[in-house]
Amino acid sequence: MTGPIRQRGQIARLLQSRNLVPLIMVGITAILVIVPLLRIVQISLTPDGLAAWTDVTNSRLSPNLLWKPITNTMILGACVATGCLLLGGFLAWLVVLTDVPFRRFLGILSTLPFMIPSFAAALAWGTLFRNDRLGGQPGYFAANGISIPDWLAWGLLPTLIVLVAHYYSLAYTMIAAALSSVSADLVESAEMAGAKKSRILFGIILPVVTPALVAGGMLTFAGAVSNFAAPALLGAPVRMQTLSTRIYGMVQTGNIERGYVLALILILAAAALLFFSDRLVSGRKAFTTVTGKGARTKRFALGIWRWPLFCAAVALGMMTTVIPVLVLFASSMAEQSGGLFSNWTLHFWIGPAGTDLAQGQAGIFRDPILLGSIMTTIRLGLTVAGTTMLVGLVIAHTIVRYKGTFLGNTLSQLAFLPLFIPSIAMAAAYIAMYGTSMGPIPALYGTFTLLVLAATANLMPYAVQSGRAVLSQISSDIEESARMTGAGPIRRMTEIVLPLAVRGILAGGILVFIKIVRDLSLVVLLFSSTTPVLSMMAFNYAGLGFMQFANAITLVILVICLIASALVYLLQNKIQGWKST
Amino acid sequence: MTAQDQITTTPAIAIEHLTKRFSENTAVDDVNISVPPGSFLVLVGPSGCGKSTLLRMLAGLEPPSEGQISFGGKIVSSGASGVQTNAAARDAGLVFQSYALWPHKTVEGNIDWPLKVAGWSKQKRAERINEVLKFLGIEALRDRYPAEISGGQQQRVAIARTIGPRPGILLLDEPLSNLDAKLRVDMRSELMRIHRGTNATSVYVTHDQVEAMTMATHVAVLREGRVEQFGPPDELLLKPQTTFVATFLGTPAGNLVPVSRSEDAFVFNGINLAPNAIAPDLDTAQLLYRAQDITVGTREGRPTVKATYAESAPIAGQSMVTCLIGDLRVTAIVDGFFRAEPGTEIDLCFLRDPDAVFDADGRRVTQ
Repeated sequence: MTGPIRQRGQIARLLQSRNLVPLIMVGITAILVIVPLLRIVQISLTPDGLAAWTDVTNSRLSPNLLWKPITNTMILGACVATGCLLLGGFLAWLVVLTDVPFRRFLGILSTLPFMIPSFAAALAWGTLFRNDRLGGQPGYFAANGISIPDWLAWGLLPTLIVLVAHYYSLAYTMIAAALSSVSADLVESAEMAGAKKSRILFGIILPVVTPALVAGGMLTFAGAVSNFAAPALLGAPVRMQTLSTRIYGMVQTGNIERGYVLALILILAAAALLFFSDRLVSGRKAFTTVTGKGARTKRFALGIWRWPLFCAAVALGMMTTVIPVLVLFASSMAEQSGGLFSNWTLHFWIGPAGTDLAQGQAGIFRDPILLGSIMTTIRLGLTVAGTTMLVGLVIAHTIVRYKGTFLGNTLSQLAFLPLFIPSIAMAAAYIAMYGTSMGPIPALYGTFTLLVLAATANLMPYAVQSGRAVLSQISSDIEESARMTGAGPIRRMTEIVLPLAVRGILAGGILVFIKIVRDLSLVVLLFSSTTPVLSMMAFNYAGLGFMQFANAITLVILVICLIASALVYLLQNKIQGWKST
Repeated sequence: MTAQDQITTTPAIAIEHLTKRFSENTAVDDVNISVPPGSFLVLVGPSGCGKSTLLRMLAGLEPPSEGQISFGGKIVSSGASGVQTNAAARDAGLVFQSYALWPHKTVEGNIDWPLKVAGWSKQKRAERINEVLKFLGIEALRDRYPAEISGGQQQRVAIARTIGPRPGILLLDEPLSNLDAKLRVDMRSELMRIHRGTNATSVYVTHDQVEAMTMATHVAVLREGRVEQFGPPDELLLKPQTTFVATFLGTPAGNLVPVSRSEDAFVFNGINLAPNAIAPDLDTAQLLYRAQDITVGTREGRPTVKATYAESAPIAGQSMVTCLIGDLRVTAIVDGFFRAEPGTEIDLCFLRDPDAVFDADGRRVTQ
């Protein structure tokens, strides 16, 4: 067979009707992910764009535009990854491989910090450690006469601490899963061979969990590099810029092309890093089970260190979960950060306007804009949870069904591509794409629709992953046995597939809901309407120095996430009386 | 006479030139099988032989690439005309290897749902549910969920669910493979009771030749998508048409000894085993000897070869002795309990002339 004929045959085969669904899904993911990326590339190649490349990389301005921010970004990424691996690895070792008391409690405690948005931790840090460098209200320590040096109040170090506090639980989760896949048999066979404890740790356990360590390090690195809230709140006020805050600044001040160029650089940096880390571990995946549960794990006796190490782990957990929330709560009730625990008032929550407090502003629950933004936030969370789970399920189903085919592979790669795109860069791409009207598409800048589109694209990998988990619970046999009875597709869907999938759909949906409700880096560029979302209001209040309002709104976000999780939990138990096999 | 000639009534299942191709390989290749109503057809073969694909085509879950399937004279699947009666309308029920019980429905709910889909009235459904629960002895499990009952019980529920709507054809995909050894033997007779009790024609897929030999009225041995031989079990055992069938069926399986012609005899390792008159046209051949036709020791006037003893297993007062001659594995039967040091050299004696002669390609040449 000759080349062209064969090729035409292949194209014809691709266009068959059975390929309609995967083709449509490839189209949707391309529009959501690829097209906006191409658009910023295209804009960066216009005359203005090329000028922006020069400004950013090779001009008098470039140290401030690119080199300093990228240096800060990389330092943050490397230090956060190191810190997270050390803390997460320590906790994972303690919980999985030792006889520390209350292991289950410690395990849960170690996963919680990731639930607290990073801007909550950053706000809490400011409430405690802010000094008088920028004027405004001093923090708790400074107001009580303990002088806080600038390096502890602002800039790189506090940003670093806040990010480590936020991301170490991610590293913990991955390392703990890998460690629990090291079965007791492995360790015991090494003991039988006469190896000492340290030899077992470095010779057996460490090599087995290396892929998880690399993956954990890279994910926390990527998270730190693309994080916006912490450097924006703690670094930007003293001109410590990262790529994220620079992109935000450029887009906000109208230097759009420079923003796009920086976004491209950020995407390339993040993608290169994740790509190489994947290459680094991909050959070794064979002997790791990142999500698997080991049958039985060998626990080392800690001896007299049991309780001291337990206390250290609890202290770490408390400092990164309960204490930030308590600080936010106390601050929202206190007139001054200096008196966090005295003279509490509900003014910042429900007080009337025109008093001496808060420069005469009313409490947040009297502010119609805030009440509106609660509704907008919940609506956004629900809509995005709905759209992403729908897209995620269909894509996951298509990927599974067309596994190994060209379309299936393409779809699977496209769907996971957003993992490589930091959300602020994704937001920049969406402004480039939909900021002005194009043909039949009106300008969507600042609209709810644009935010839903961008969030759907941003969260697609998580939704597809949840979709896969959901579908893997329903074997093809179970659907076929329903088909054998003669039940039509709709009946099979409503009476067999949906009841089995609903639990997983809710779990995936709540993950997406929480991620978007507490997100700042995506919405900060995309939403500029008169009813902003909560995280943006908190960010704006913090920028204006109204710390009590910012903290109170952050608490509202936490409460919304908590209530949503609890509702989903109750719902799951109610609709699923049966136990899954 | 072949099995097909015996069928005078309309066959319950007629499979003609059935072929299934996936993108690169041919899973089922020009299969022809037909069986009368009430048959118990077993499709047996090693894994990957296409037996499950064949069953899925019978169930209507896969369309054939070529050829056709008729149930009771009515075409239900056809590769050429594209006829593909849906799974329900072909009056067939399938018991899945994994059981595929719906985990969110109780035992009763699992049996009830297919009847509901088929549009049975509430009262008829209740009667039928009681009937099949009783028939399978699982009345006590009525309100349990699948996750709360044992594997053997899940299997019974899966069967109850399938026979509920009284299908004319009962399809079973390796139903015993997930059960432990003892339960498997019990369930074998139970399945035959169910087959008789339902008056259905059953098609049973397995890789276990013992199941095929004990349960079937008709056996089709499949290999690489093709029917190697089709017929009643005793015919397959007594008159295997290929070396594959001869060595796949029987406990123990038959021995095949490769021989070459030397003047007027077939010779193995320099020993005359048989006169070449048994296959005058062949230069090389494979001779089939049953295990009971070979024993340990020597006999006056019978050919004997040297072999290396490997192992021995007692079986019903006799011993099944396995030896190696070079790479060739030979099984012999000895009365009483036989034991030797593995690696010892012993004599094997061929008590009778070969049961059958096959050519170098594995086809039977003697009648």
